[in-house]
Amino acid sequence: MTTTELIIQLLITGLANGLIIALIALGYTMVYGIIELINFAHGDVMMLGCFLALTIVGLCGGEQLSPWIALPLLFLTVPFFTAGLNWSVEKLAYKPIREAPKLTALVSAIGVSFVFINIGMFWGGLPMDVFGGGGSAASAKSFPDLFGWSNLLGEQSAVLLTPRDVMVAAVTIPLMIGLTFFINRTRMGTAMRAVAQNPTAAKLMGIDVDRVIGLTFIIGGALAGVASVITALYTGSIHFQMGYRNGMDAFTAAVLGGIGNLPGAVLGALLIGLVRAVMEGYVPNGGQWSNTVVFALLILVLVFRPNGILGSRVREKV
Amino acid sequence: MSDHPTIKIIARFWPHALLAIVLVLPLFGDAIATKLTPIMVFAIVGLGLNVVAGFTGLLNLGAAAFMAIGAYTFAICTVPIYPFQIGFWPGLGVAIMVGAVAGTILALPAMRLRGDYLAIVTLGFGEIITDVLKNLDAITKGTQGLNPVAAPEIPFVTYSISAYKPTYYLYLALLLVAILLCHNMRKSRLGRQWIAVRDDELAARSMGISPARTKLIAFAIGSGLCAFGGAMFASLNGTSIEPSFYDFQQSVVILCIVIVGGMGNVKGVILGALIMVGFNSIILVNLTEWMTRNGWTGNNVLATPSNWKFMIFGLALILMMRLRPQGLIPAQDVEPVTQKPATAGATP
Amino acid sequence: MTVLELDQVTLRFGGLTAVNNVSFRVEKGDIVAVIGPNGAGKTSLFNTITGIYPPTTGRVLINHAVVEQPATLQNKIQWTIIGVVTAIAVTLALNANAIWDAAINAHAITSPFPWGQAFNDACRVLTPSAWTIIPGLVGGFVGASGAWNAWRTARCSPDLVTRVGVARTFQNIRLFRELSARDNVLVGMEPKLHSRAWDGAFRLPPHFREQTEACAKADELLAFVNLGEVADVSAGSLPYGHQRRLEIARALASQPSLLLLDEPAAGMNPTESASLMLLIRKIRELGITVLLIEHDMKVVMGISDRIVVLHYGNKIAEGTPAEIRENPAVIEAYLGKEAG
Repeated sequence: MTTTELIIQLLITGLANGLIIALIALGYTMVYGIIELINFAHGDVMMLGCFLALTIVGLCGGEQLSPWIALPLLFLTVPFFTAGLNWSVEKLAYKPIREAPKLTALVSAIGVSFVFINIGMFWGGLPMDVFGGGGSAASAKSFPDLFGWSNLLGEQSAVLLTPRDVMVAAVTIPLMIGLTFFINRTRMGTAMRAVAQNPTAAKLMGIDVDRVIGLTFIIGGALAGVASVITALYTGSIHFQMGYRNGMDAFTAAVLGGIGNLPGAVLGALLIGLVRAVMEGYVPNGGQWSNTVVFALLILVLVFRPNGILGSRVREKV
Repeated sequence: MSDHPTIKIIARFWPHALLAIVLVLPLFGDAIATKLTPIMVFAIVGLGLNVVAGFTGLLNLGAAAFMAIGAYTFAICTVPIYPFQIGFWPGLGVAIMVGAVAGTILALPAMRLRGDYLAIVTLGFGEIITDVLKNLDAITKGTQGLNPVAAPEIPFVTYSISAYKPTYYLYLALLLVAILLCHNMRKSRLGRQWIAVRDDELAARSMGISPARTKLIAFAIGSGLCAFGGAMFASLNGTSIEPSFYDFQQSVVILCIVIVGGMGNVKGVILGALIMVGFNSIILVNLTEWMTRNGWTGNNVLATPSNWKFMIFGLALILMMRLRPQGLIPAQDVEPVTQKPATAGATP
Repeated sequence: MTVLELDQVTLRFGGLTAVNNVSFRVEKGDIVAVIGPNGAGKTSLFNTITGIYPPTTGRVLINHAVVEQPATLQNKIQWTIIGVVTAIAVTLALNANAIWDAAINAHAITSPFPWGQAFNDACRVLTPSAWTIIPGLVGGFVGASGAWNAWRTARCSPDLVTRVGVARTFQNIRLFRELSARDNVLVGMEPKLHSRAWDGAFRLPPHFREQTEACAKADELLAFVNLGEVADVSAGSLPYGHQRRLEIARALASQPSLLLLDEPAAGMNPTESASLMLLIRKIRELGITVLLIEHDMKVVMGISDRIVVLHYGNKIAEGTPAEIRENPAVIEAYLGKEAG
């Protein structure tokens, strides 16, 4: 494999990974932008989405299911489920304590995350699991391989571009463009930006702040749902602890880019995806160190830019 | 707190009652003592986190990492497969020092960060530490952990390893020392600096306090205490356990110890450790044993109480934040940091 | 003697100029008021003086000197040491497995352990290669530049300004709400306290000596601002007027030579502001120079020796109260052109 081919291969893997992380990171950063809360449960909402996807595919025939039926089916069900889940989390766990100090909500979010992890463990461990990667709750479940590993660039090409890479890009990029349009051009998007800047003032201007916050959680949840379908199909393996892993990456991406900043989250996610691809595909023994490198990178960036790469400096009012 | 006299008496005297109970309990059998000792260890770790998160207001989501640093430092210094073998007490000393240095190193880049950014950096640090411990398997023996590490010993006293009571009282004494130190620090100039930085960093700076220095000291002391607890835990178990034991979930459990009792409150940490660790290692374990003995568990994951652990922790946290966010012992009940010395009145 | 001198101070936030080329002096023992319409840049000026926002251009001289940590040789040596230590640490960390294998695991655990041999073997692992030089260089660069960065941000900081004898209060009260009134004053005393962390932790004699003395002084100060009875009440639960006076006591605790009061009479009724004027005069009698921002003209005209008028960040007038009262530019700024 020549150097150019290697670089292209790393770019493909890195961008595909990065785009998935970006979808989750957008959910984190939108919620943070509006209510300044690290929604720890977000990654676990995505994890539950994965288990729902597994159940649906399992009920509909598993491996035999054509991707042309599976994809629309999953995209029409899972995002609704995760959006609803995220919305109810907000209503039940965060809304009642919105006036309390920030730490209160953060701890509550960690609590929700623990509850979801437990649900995921039962979901994976009970007879409900249709493929069974072992009977015990703790083991990873394999997700049916709907796409195969054929190389779209032809079998003799050294660079591997699989249908799943294309699927990731084809789903995530339009979604991100749509989200940008929604935030910047529509009335509801303007309302969201207004609430993010100053909830009190927005309320005085007649914006229904509760509705806007609810909508933010719905959009974030739906993005997490899409991400869960893509992740399950892309990696082919799901686990009840994966919410934490993926959530961690996504949250790091959001902080790296400047939390609350949508383009920042995408930028951070792509950066993390690329770093992981390089570590796993190029550096010998790099895979086991990729977490360390990602977090070291985060700490480094924050030392020199305490508000992230694209974050703006916040001045304290004296 | 309610004004009802009974509640007032309980609120005033439960620490004394608790101390009396833990002093007497081991006389009823080693089984109880074995269960209580881990609670003391986690109380010390909680005290360490409380210095950082409670007193200084810096949310640290990587407390378990410092525990791991203490445990592994202690293990490396005392296991027979390595040539150091310095014994229990020097091992504790080295663990505290390494923990404090690690805390300072983490705090250096994190000093300028606020709130959530700091939280995520400490979280990342925790991940890095577990990864490093896992990957440096030439030193840490990876997932096997290091064992056997030095068992607790009391200077000038020899007792058989199987006798549990001396260890129990040793750990109780160490916990009491840690409580006393934390209490003293909070009541001194240092404690005022910490709380001033927590309440209003900018005003504290305008009073001539250097927040960076204050935070560094808090991190060094807090991490040192966490490492101390970690080393004690390793010694108690005879092994450093394995890297993934000290993961994020462990950090959250430690954070819960601090939050449940009431942030920034030494008594609260003790109560929190009693509730959290007691629930985890006594109630759940005993319930599972009891159900297994009666043949109620079978193969169903739902019928094993310890599988409900996260659900119960999670619901407890959510409800706690909803109903009593300031913790079981709210900060308002805490007396002023500096009490008027008896002699002060003489010179107005 | 000049306590404070502003020399062509300009403060910009992005495109907004909050303070524009302002110069004036404050002489020892004076009470000087800074007045101006809302948004004139008064509080920004205070923040510049106290080091919260360093001036964009110009200098703030306190007792004839700019308060700043200079980049001394000692600093430069510190950065270098931090850089070298980081470089060594990163290199060792990245090769930890190999070093440990060579030095410890390769030798049987015998007593005495061959330490010299182990050290030699460890050194042999650390030969110059991509795995030692690159991490070393990166680590060294990050360590040194990080230390430099930390110094740069702490170069001019409010705590340094306070330590040379400038204390302040805040426009919107910033007490330590969860500390008692006495503890608030004790925090204000910080620049004068010297006991060490371990003195407090182990209750050593220096701690008690200092504690007794400091508490006595704090109670004295609380009595000075008429808060003697509420010393043990937490600051957050005090009534508003008390909180204002507690802020002044806290500022006085550092025994400043210059006291900055940011709208001390805000929200006070006439009786309260009258007693505030009395208090400010009493402070002056202690030999403390006072610089205050105030909107209440009765207070300003009643106690000031000199008045500086700001308008849109510019100094438009300076003089005695009588001069300011007659100054057409000031009248115009406050009342508009037609009225003048």
